Amino acid sequence: MRIIKSLSLLVLIIVLCTVLIPAASAHRVHLREQVMDVQIKAWYGGGDPMPNADVKIYSIRDEQEKLYLEGKTDENGLYYFAPELGTTSYRVVVELTGHKGELEFDLTAGSQPENVELPLYLSVLVGFGFLAGIGGIAAYLSARKMKAQ
Amino acid sequence: MVHISDGILPWELLLSGWAITAVILACTLIWMKIDDVPKLSVITAAVFVASLIHFQAGPTSVHLVLSGFAGVTLGILAYPCIFIAVVMQAFLFQHGGVTTIGINTVNMGVPALISFFIFKAGMKLNIGISKNEILFGAIAGGTAVALAVLLLAVELLLTGEEFTEVTTFVVAAHIPVILVEAIFTGVIVGFFATVKPEMLSIKKRL
Repeated sequence: MRIIKSLSLLVLIIVLCTVLIPAASAHRVHLREQVMDVQIKAWYGGGDPMPNADVKIYSIRDEQEKLYLEGKTDENGLYYFAPELGTTSYRVVVELTGHKGELEFDLTAGSQPENVELPLYLSVLVGFGFLAGIGGIAAYLSARKMKAQ
Repeated sequence: MVHISDGILPWELLLSGWAITAVILACTLIWMKIDDVPKLSVITAAVFVASLIHFQAGPTSVHLVLSGFAGVTLGILAYPCIFIAVVMQAFLFQHGGVTTIGINTVNMGVPALISFFIFKAGMKLNIGISKNEILFGAIAGGTAVALAVLLLAVELLLTGEEFTEVTTFVVAAHIPVILVEAIFTGVIVGFFATVKPEMLSIKKRL
């Protein structure tokens, strides 16, 4: 009789524990990162975005290139696309009324640094320097000619 | 805009662009004197950076060309000016392409030459207003851009029917540029005629 009482008490304690303990699942939690979108950013020299430009995405597989997607950039010069399953190499051509840019990339290689081009003010200075050089040489030759006369 | 990038036009057009540019360049350079070079350099510097002055026209951004300005200030030498500017824009700003330097120079250089002839012919006319250089400067400036866009439109339409929409878009986007350049060239020619007449391609008859 005593044993039955003790067993009943034990069962009661177990039932209470099960009810009162916060719900916990024994299922294992799995996490996996997945990059769904590739962002293409198009901008003009000087930093202005290239909105509404035609975008063509070519997927490259076994050195064979085929047109994968076509679209337009948004007002910030951005275009998003989901990569093709199993293809990591792409060539992107962005074009707007005669302005055209191309980029070939591999998703496994990571993004290229953005500012690889010469800063705009330096490009302007290079151009001015070049022209000033031509003008200067010509002015010098012209002055020598006048002196000789 | 008016700069065409690599890989759009067929090779026949690119080749004819280079051929026309080579012939006109050779003719103008034979005619050029060493004394003209400093002025050529200064105007080329202005044309070179003009493509950086851009503004919004509808959904796209367009930039100044200044080919009319080159025409009225340099005369025949506007062609080498445009050529050098296009080469530098292609390599330094990545505007246009390398294979298209020839055709891009034709597109902007030939209208520059025509604008010079318009300006020259206009100044010979006696229309009875005192500041006729402003009027003809403005006409030359506007015409140069309009003709450049026209040439570009013809080339794109010759390339294929798929460019019809783009062509309409390009022409419409350049209407404000035509107006801005007409005003700019008119004002600058008026200023030069008063302050520094030797900057103009023709001698002003007082």
